[in-house]
Amino acid sequence: MSRFSGILWSLLFLAVPVLGVATFAVAPAIDVWLPPDVSEHGKAIDGLFYFILALTGVVFVATEVALAWFLWKYNAAKAAGPATYIHGSHALEVVWTIIPAATLLFLAIYQMNTWADVKMRRPAMAPSVEVVARQFEWRLRYPGRDGTLGTPDDLFLVNDLHVPVDEDFLVQLKSMDVLHSFFLPNLRIKQDAVPGMKIPVWFKATETGQFDIVCAELCGWGHYKMKGRVTVESREDFDRWLESQYAKQEATQPEPDPSTAVARTE
Amino acid sequence: MTFETMHRRTSLAFTGLIVCLAALTGCGKTPPAYFRPNMVEATKQRLTPDQEKQVATILLAMFGTPDEPVCLPETGLDEAKLRLAAGPVRSDIVGRKNGLYREHCAHCHGVTGDALGPTAAFLNPYPRDYRPGVFKFKSTERADKPTHADLVRVLHNGIPGTSMPSFALLPVAQVEALAEYVKYLSMRGETELALMRAYFELDDDAQGKLPETREFLVDETLATVADKWKAAADAEIPVPPMPADIDLVASIAKGKELFYGDKANCVKCHGVTGLGDGQANDYDDWNKAIVEIGKELSSGAAAAREASTSGMSPEELSEHRAQLAWLDKFGKVLDGDALEPRTIPPRNLRHGIYRGGRRPIDLYYRIHAGINGAPMPAAKGTVPPEDIWHIVNYVRSLPYELDGELGADKPMLARDRF
Amino acid sequence: MPTCSRSNQSAAIVALVILAIASGCRPERVASPGADAEAAHALKATLVSASSGAGAAAPAAATGTGWGSLTGRFVFAGAPGTPKPLIADKDTEVCSKAGMKLLDRSLLVDPSSKGLANVVVFARKTARVKEASPPSTPLVFDQKQCEFLSPVFAARVGQPIDVKNSDPIGHNTNISGSDFNQLIPAGGATTYAPKAETGMPTMVTCNVHPWMKAYMVFRKDGYVAVSAADGSFTIADLPAGEPLEFQVWHERSTGPNGALGLDKPDLKWTPKGRFQITLQPDEVKDIGTLDVPASAIGT
Repeated sequence: MSRFSGILWSLLFLAVPVLGVATFAVAPAIDVWLPPDVSEHGKAIDGLFYFILALTGVVFVATEVALAWFLWKYNAAKAAGPATYIHGSHALEVVWTIIPAATLLFLAIYQMNTWADVKMRRPAMAPSVEVVARQFEWRLRYPGRDGTLGTPDDLFLVNDLHVPVDEDFLVQLKSMDVLHSFFLPNLRIKQDAVPGMKIPVWFKATETGQFDIVCAELCGWGHYKMKGRVTVESREDFDRWLESQYAKQEATQPEPDPSTAVARTE
Repeated sequence: MTFETMHRRTSLAFTGLIVCLAALTGCGKTPPAYFRPNMVEATKQRLTPDQEKQVATILLAMFGTPDEPVCLPETGLDEAKLRLAAGPVRSDIVGRKNGLYREHCAHCHGVTGDALGPTAAFLNPYPRDYRPGVFKFKSTERADKPTHADLVRVLHNGIPGTSMPSFALLPVAQVEALAEYVKYLSMRGETELALMRAYFELDDDAQGKLPETREFLVDETLATVADKWKAAADAEIPVPPMPADIDLVASIAKGKELFYGDKANCVKCHGVTGLGDGQANDYDDWNKAIVEIGKELSSGAAAAREASTSGMSPEELSEHRAQLAWLDKFGKVLDGDALEPRTIPPRNLRHGIYRGGRRPIDLYYRIHAGINGAPMPAAKGTVPPEDIWHIVNYVRSLPYELDGELGADKPMLARDRF
Repeated sequence: MPTCSRSNQSAAIVALVILAIASGCRPERVASPGADAEAAHALKATLVSASSGAGAAAPAAATGTGWGSLTGRFVFAGAPGTPKPLIADKDTEVCSKAGMKLLDRSLLVDPSSKGLANVVVFARKTARVKEASPPSTPLVFDQKQCEFLSPVFAARVGQPIDVKNSDPIGHNTNISGSDFNQLIPAGGATTYAPKAETGMPTMVTCNVHPWMKAYMVFRKDGYVAVSAADGSFTIADLPAGEPLEFQVWHERSTGPNGALGLDKPDLKWTPKGRFQITLQPDEVKDIGTLDVPASAIGT
């Protein structure tokens, strides 16, 4: 390889850490970063994300720069001396095994509490809603006035999840057919819906607004459009909405105005 | 040859092959979408290629193409909404999304609304074929068309238990445009059927050509189709209110009597368990048409095979050959232009999944008028309205019934299922 | 690379090509000639214009005075074979009572006279009608022992039909293509007045007992007859003095839409199952014995 191509290759490899850091630095400004977080545990999760990003980022930059430097320094055209054959350095190998292992062990212990909060410490409450994932929609079942799922006063809806703000909310997640994944990006919730299992998912929303529900496990041709909407609202609005939906569900007369057949909050 | 040369040649050859494949798969523009003629009806009516061409030309003039719909005023349709729904997915000059039908509906319902989209064959139940103009879940009497609100409701709620999704998250304007386009496709399909059937009714001096006059095409054929759609708004079933102080327990008990009784005869099809196991061998209208054709074809093929050609005169022989060619063509048409027929089981009422909607009034509509296109008969005239409400209340209690035929010790079906 | 031999490469290429071809394969769709775009453009212009077209009003049909009758007899020239039993697997205590079998009635031939029953003859268009409004006396369409008692039934549009159920079990009567698909309880009845013509006869079924089948035909002017067991039919009070075209139909006919095309050039019988006659006032025209060959009836 000529001298010139040697320099080119080293610069190419140097571009990796440079561009890597640059894209991460630019991303929040062009809205290609984490979606806004409106959940209570989201801060802990995001904090973990940034911590691990910083840690791995430092190591990443260091190793990549070292690689580029070696490419530059030991370019065959320039460093024409013979190679040195060594047995390797036992000490070095021990060091660079122990340090990453310790780091990973540290991370594992550091994140245990957050994991337990999100996945293990289920609030002691009856499910607020049952979400049944189905190709290609989210079927919802609210327990109704008696607070028990599976009774005649349940409210059945599709794709339109409402959640009262600043309250613990427990979802009972099921699947009607294949694997899906219940993903609420703005609430930092992602849980696979496994056919045959009833999986509890809980969170507490801290801000009102309308956010997405998307499917995060490939489930068929309609996976890309298996979208729902989660509306976080005050407790009064939520109760009022439940009542109005229930009244519509129990309608024994046709709707008075055709345009109200399409309930909208766009 | 050295190893390096052989290696380089092989790599070059493979690279060249992959580049060629990549180039070929990308070559050629997508042809514009086109409406597929109703080949099953055309073949059933034994239309000649000229007659098929005439029907296609008339439909092109009256309804346009999937990209450029034509909206004659007699249809009563809103052209702006059709333009929003038609054509390829794109943004128009004010940034609104167009091509809604192609984006959301065409892959199941087909560009022509003939339920022959690429996904259709894999769905159970099949998607709706709009061309006969028959719709199941509506608020009007049995043979009447659905109202605009009925179509919007189906788009909004989807049809639970089927692959029809809910479009509740689409903006109102888009749902309205889609409903309008469905009506357009249905009117087009019904007009196509009427035109194809009209050839049989022609007098012999018409030489097998339909009159291309405004009277025949618009005032007779199109108006007959469009008027039924316009009349839908007035054909809504009058629903007497359920008494506000109704004793639900007594009503459910009365409903159970009626369900098992001889007037309403529900158990004959829905089964004494309510699981829909009373019957398994009937078809809905769309599948029945294909089954009947299949029977006709197989009997025709058997007859043609048995006919001995030795004793035939030249005219008889040519007729025989034409019949064989027609049978062959029809067989191919059923392969490529029709879905494999499936029986329609009566609904399992223990699931708590109601395709046409779960409101009490939805169930009232289903029982009163039956379901158009399906074997479900109308109870109107036989069962008085108060009794229909009793049956509705009983049906709504079925998913939670513990002491029915299933017994109290059997697991309840609806609690753990949806 | 010892495994990268030439024969392995060729095998790989062949496999790739076959895969590429196979992925494109699907059942052939029968081609249809496309539309004629220019003709469509011209046609659209005429349809959109408000004018009612260049054609003058239809010439007044030649009408006469007086009324006549048409009569004839259909005879089956082939061997009818034994009717197949229907699979009646529901409500067997009524439908297969005492081992009774329900038989397919699509081809009913009288053994002695060879008369072909249930052939439908109706007038396609008439300029005059004897009775302007349909009769108010209802016709009876009944079902017993899980069978429709009239395999082919004719009525006038607007004429009341008493749809009865003389069985101890419930039935529903589904007249396809109409608005009538109704439950009829055991021993019950309901009245139905058809609102539209059927064109060719339409099928009537019971969804509870899917083997039950009948045909109904409704005509606006009421000039329709169904041949009796001995094959004879009569249509009375037809308008005389005008050319009348009749459509003939049989359930098992091999003609298009069930049309029965016979070889009768003197009646101008077409393959579409139509024949023409003109009646004189007070004439009872007997078109004689009409031989239906075995080839006209399918299996």
